[in-house]
Amino acid sequence: MIRPVLLAVVAAAALAFPHVVTANYFIHLAVLAMVWMIVAAGTNVIQGYAGYVSIAQGGFMGIGAYSSALLSLDAGVPVWLAISVAPFITALAALIAGYPSLRVRGHYFAILTLAMNMVIYIVLVNWIPVTGGEAGTTGIPAPEPISIGTLEISFERRVNYYYLVLAALALTMLIVTAVVRSRVGRVLEAIRQNETFAEAAGVACWKYKLFAFVISASLAGFAGALYAHYMSFISPAPFSVDHSLNAILAVILGGSGTLTGPLVGAALTVALPEVLRIAEIFRLIIYGFALVVVVIFLPRGLVPWIADLAGRDWKLPRAQSAESR
Amino acid sequence: MLVDLLQQLFNGLVIGSIYTLVALGLTIIFGILGIAHFAHGSVAMFGGYLTYFLILALGIGVFPAMALAMAGGALLGVVLERVAYYPVRNAPPINSFIIALGLTLIIEKSNLLLFGVDQIIVPTGFNRIFTIGGLALPELRIYILLTAAALVVALTILIQKSWMGMAVRAVAQNRAAAILMGINVHAVSMFVFALSSALGVAAGVLVGALFAIAPGVSGGLVVKGFAVLILGGLGSIPGAIVGGLVLGVSETFASAFVSSAYKDVIAFLLMIGVLLVKPEGIMRRSVAR
Repeated sequence: MIRPVLLAVVAAAALAFPHVVTANYFIHLAVLAMVWMIVAAGTNVIQGYAGYVSIAQGGFMGIGAYSSALLSLDAGVPVWLAISVAPFITALAALIAGYPSLRVRGHYFAILTLAMNMVIYIVLVNWIPVTGGEAGTTGIPAPEPISIGTLEISFERRVNYYYLVLAALALTMLIVTAVVRSRVGRVLEAIRQNETFAEAAGVACWKYKLFAFVISASLAGFAGALYAHYMSFISPAPFSVDHSLNAILAVILGGSGTLTGPLVGAALTVALPEVLRIAEIFRLIIYGFALVVVVIFLPRGLVPWIADLAGRDWKLPRAQSAESR
Repeated sequence: MLVDLLQQLFNGLVIGSIYTLVALGLTIIFGILGIAHFAHGSVAMFGGYLTYFLILALGIGVFPAMALAMAGGALLGVVLERVAYYPVRNAPPINSFIIALGLTLIIEKSNLLLFGVDQIIVPTGFNRIFTIGGLALPELRIYILLTAAALVVALTILIQKSWMGMAVRAVAQNRAAAILMGINVHAVSMFVFALSSALGVAAGVLVGALFAIAPGVSGGLVVKGFAVLILGGLGSIPGAIVGGLVLGVSETFASAFVSSAYKDVIAFLLMIGVLLVKPEGIMRRSVAR
């Protein structure tokens, strides 16, 4: 009963947000937070459900960002089309990279994805004729305005871009929810809990793992494309390994394997450094400590923990779920 | 042309010997504890910085400074094991993995905070260059090769001959049986972390003497280390030695004859290639873990 009400309240708040908080700075933060929510929701599919850590999400975000930006800048493809194609280009890259990597389990996979991110970064920095190298690519156009009757919606305006990203986030959540609630989602959870058993039960695990990896990557690519056309300037820096770790932190912090957890985690990783007003280097040290402390003391993340606390206050004390330890 | 090839082979072996040191630390931690210790590269860099500042502050030679830094690294390793990895020893492996990522961030950025952003080169004073038939053999590189070889031999003796080494091997083979035989696995864990962190520090010092230490070097180093592990088989000491040299040589050849900007891609391609063809590594006959 609480759940749909909560959902409606959050949706209403998200829709009203740019009219209540009109300062550009906060709308800007909200857009960035939602971009990261899309990345984190994708990361959650492979990390939270399938139980495989991918350290390449930042790199895949870069592939999406650059392919969308370059398609619209150099090839003259309409921006709407470029943004829609970017997730598929990223998916293709993930498919090629994931096929050999997912034949192995656990740590091997994480190490390979880390190397993947580094390769993507090296290419972005060194392929200067196409990517512009460290100097980056400028003048990336915003999506073409939409005309409804006499009303023209320009995405040069921050508020309108906010709604665009909000819609993208809603679409992402629909896709992720559909995936994890389907048979595929249950298979992924089975793989996380015991891959050998799943295999023994006749599941071709690698197909499901590859699917989860590709979905995660293409959502990161989608977020990257939205980011590129929002900022109108991209350089390799935001697509480094540090930012892949950021996505992992968002999932762990909020609660991996839950639908809402990664969103909360992503919002926190964007909001906290702004609120605390700290230098980049301290931010990353604090992130490191946050990862260690959360994994040791709150291995299920904030959202399940708060839900448990709330449940304890409202209802009868509930037995600790078996999964918590 | 032959001289060219031999020259690149020598350079490759020197770099490869450093990769071997990094990989040895990673492989014993993985073999004993099943942890992919991502922070190893940052620990190595910490050791490099520490050695540099010890040399400057105390006016001692590179080898005594390195020994002190290795002791410091061993201590750091024990602290990491106790504070961060020990609490999650019974949790799913993904937890210790995420701890490792957190530690990487903490140590990496603390290095930045403690030692600054400037790149440093560990001063050695080994500046002579021997020339043998057109082959240039810098004194420094010979010492690096010898230091790495000495450490590998020392490690092998320690693991094969000492009582603690026997305990380490016992835990690697069968943890439960080792506990039943009265081996203190907690002590073994601490020992392993101390040992591998000291090796990592040595690798960091050698990198600092050969190239330079700067923020961001550690990530590349740890990926190379893991590439070696995949090449040689996770948990295998001979695999780490052979894999390290293979990676070093192939990287040097690639940067000399193909492209130096993309030389770091070699490690990735080698990993993918090995995983496709022989996922258990080139030195392993069967998968033990």
